[in-house]
Amino acid sequence: MQRYFISRLGQSALLLIGVIILVFFMVRVTGDPARLMMPREASAEDLEAFREVMGFNRPLYVQFLDFFSGAIVGDFGDSLHFKTPALQLVLERLPATVHLAGIALIFALIIAIPIGLIGGFNPGSVVDTLGRGLALAGQSIPNFWLALIFILFFAVRLRWFPSFGRDEWHSVVLPATVLGLPVMGQIVRLTRSAVLEIRGEDFIRTAYSKGLEPRTIYIKHVFRNVAIPLISVIGVQFGYMLGGSIYIETIFSWPGMGQLIEQSIGWRDFPLIQAIAVFTSVVVLGLNLITDLTYAFIDPRIRYGSS
Amino acid sequence: MVDYARGGEELIYFKPFFFLNAKTAQEVSIIEGEENMNILKQLRPVFGLVLLAALILAACQPQEIIVTQVVTQEVEKQVVVTQEVEVVTTVEVPAEPPPDMPIGTLVRAVTTFPNSLDIPQTAERQASTTAWNIFDSLVAFNDAGEIVPRLAERWEVSDDGTEYTFYLREGVTFHNGEPFNADAVVFSWDRAVNGGFEYSYHWESAVSVEKLDDYTVKITTEAPDALFLSIMADNWGMIPPGYFQEVGQAGFDEFPIGTGPFKFVEWVKGDHITMEANEDYFRGMPKIKTFIIRPIPESATRVAAIQTGEVDIVTRLSSEEAQSLLGVENVKVIKYPVTRVYYIAFNNLTTGVGQPTEDPLVRQAMNYAVDIDAIIDALFDGFAKPAIGLVATSELGYDDAEPFGYDPDKARDLLAQAGYTDGFAMDMACPAGAYTHFEEVCEAIAGYLNEVGIDVSLEIMESGQYWDMEAAKELPPLFGDSWSSAVGEGYPRLNGSLRGWDASYSSWFDDEIDNLLTQIETTIDQKERAELYKDLQAYMRENPPFIYLYEPVSFEAINTRVQNYKPRSAETYDLFQTWVVEE
Repeated sequence: MQRYFISRLGQSALLLIGVIILVFFMVRVTGDPARLMMPREASAEDLEAFREVMGFNRPLYVQFLDFFSGAIVGDFGDSLHFKTPALQLVLERLPATVHLAGIALIFALIIAIPIGLIGGFNPGSVVDTLGRGLALAGQSIPNFWLALIFILFFAVRLRWFPSFGRDEWHSVVLPATVLGLPVMGQIVRLTRSAVLEIRGEDFIRTAYSKGLEPRTIYIKHVFRNVAIPLISVIGVQFGYMLGGSIYIETIFSWPGMGQLIEQSIGWRDFPLIQAIAVFTSVVVLGLNLITDLTYAFIDPRIRYGSS
Repeated sequence: MVDYARGGEELIYFKPFFFLNAKTAQEVSIIEGEENMNILKQLRPVFGLVLLAALILAACQPQEIIVTQVVTQEVEKQVVVTQEVEVVTTVEVPAEPPPDMPIGTLVRAVTTFPNSLDIPQTAERQASTTAWNIFDSLVAFNDAGEIVPRLAERWEVSDDGTEYTFYLREGVTFHNGEPFNADAVVFSWDRAVNGGFEYSYHWESAVSVEKLDDYTVKITTEAPDALFLSIMADNWGMIPPGYFQEVGQAGFDEFPIGTGPFKFVEWVKGDHITMEANEDYFRGMPKIKTFIIRPIPESATRVAAIQTGEVDIVTRLSSEEAQSLLGVENVKVIKYPVTRVYYIAFNNLTTGVGQPTEDPLVRQAMNYAVDIDAIIDALFDGFAKPAIGLVATSELGYDDAEPFGYDPDKARDLLAQAGYTDGFAMDMACPAGAYTHFEEVCEAIAGYLNEVGIDVSLEIMESGQYWDMEAAKELPPLFGDSWSSAVGEGYPRLNGSLRGWDASYSSWFDDEIDNLLTQIETTIDQKERAELYKDLQAYMRENPPFIYLYEPVSFEAINTRVQNYKPRSAETYDLFQTWVVEE
């Protein structure tokens, strides 16, 4: 178990270094921030002075070492656009994004898991048919489009919810629903197919034949095995949502990280882009690590497999 | 899997085969049966989807009714638009009298997040217009675009035009109670010039700012600077020296303090900025109690939020969105021209050297070849104005000459005169996603040029890369762009796009244009300058350095409870004079 944990941790650290390198060099092929940030009327000397102040005229490897040594201790420098420390900007936006992603995930799970389980145990039933239709729709309807339709219908027409922002307790309903739908679709399908597959396994037949109560079989044998693929998908999806949903947050004017990403890219705000990318990577890697450890906890094959 | 099943239950492993009960057998057969599902069963999820689609359609039904309403109102709409234009251009007689005390809340939606409320650091228009509610300059623009006294009561200019003496208003205090005086002016200038901000150069037009006595300052410019007062009105926000020194730049960014009509209250990043009325304001009490700025980047959401009444003012709507709001209860649409001009630039410095476009006849021909009116009708519902000469309509010295107009025969004649009877081929580039419908505009232009025999191959490029190449003068000999100006004159735009190697985004140099621009720079007298602008425009019609396109129109929508709100062509507004009617 310990060895497993350490090896996963090592892999994550390596990945993170890879991300830092990639992010640093990728943002630099997108354009000259001095040109974009300075007014159009600025003269060549103004531009040069700006590059000097910002350190953009130093050799690339010097800039990289500077960035890397800072990033390791969480110092990403000041945002070029917002003039405040980049990491602080990211952390300011984090609660809103966690709020949205959390509600979206809970919404998706509450609906998806029962539908998936019922569908898996009763393939072909009405619930299964509707559930699969819903899953397909959730996964295939473009959610930026759905977001606009929801605003028009539920906010403008029915006035049930605010059309944007995070002012009231129910402001989160529309964005969370839109954000959660594709995840819901995926989890319905996954749960259903996992139940179907596991039901046909020898050990379930064994359990039946030794006279176990169906309820015991479901809870002890089926659910436990269904949980493994579910956890991996939930982990990945939650990490993805925490990275900030750019479309959804922008459309609903939700004050989270997704909007900040959109802004930082638009302004070629190198320090901010880097801070967001590295921060998001840490979150995703952390979640993956937790996911892996949860597997090991639930499934002894993984726990003992490596030894 | 088998391994695992054996793990804990090996002892009873063999039993099931003898006791295979009926229930399990049934279930197994169902599972196996699934593999051979008949077609009907396979279609089940499809039925589910159809059902769901039907539900969604049903849910959308009321929406479709709205769409048909919009269509039926089309005729009425046009009438409303012309009314609104009049509302903006004539003096509006408010329906409700202004209150004696600041009352109510006004929410203004902006399209992007202000990056800072410290004026020399504000990166774009919407940040600076937000900040200007907190600050004042020595002088200001009025609604007619004229310079009027603000924190200065009056001023004198020396005969050589380089020394300004400002007599400051007495008894003005900052929001924290600090007095406004000559020291504050000196400190504000000093801080901005030495702050290393992107916009420091707007303060650098003054080489010294001296205190003569507590309420008199002398400001010296290097040379006569015709735009000095305009730039001052648009950039020189006064800050309190004592407070700034106490809290530092970071503290000031966090909680800005000025003399303006509204006091800063709070800024929830990415969500809203709140200000409240400054009841001690030296021009009198503002009429709005609480003013809130909310960024809503997505325009469809802005349109929704004005309809629900969640916000009172929404800006930067497209003509389609403005049309969709006409006739909506409690919403009024405002339309005003923006001081921005779109153009397709020629190049005589790098890629355009030796090309046919060095011949003025060819450049004239290309202006005649493009049907701007048709483009404006098709892409902007007619809401834009054909441009001529790169000076916008509301700017000083605008020459109301006829645009070239669409005349493809004349274009072909001119091309023949220039010796290009068979036309020629040329590359063209335009930025993607930078301006409304600009990609389509460029495609249309390429099409029109092709019709008169100029074989244009158009490349639409990512805007970041585009600006880089434009600055490096590496774009093809035809490239599209636009330029705004907020100082009431076309000078910054003309200077930036026509000063050859001296200007970052220029790819054109012409001695006569350069000569006229130099004269405009140093002539202080407004009338003389207006004449110079006219001369320049006349010259630029004969020798066009651009294919002139259009001046855009900006749409805003306001809640009808908002009174006396007058947005200006530079997208600024003076909220001091605005009030809201409380229901």
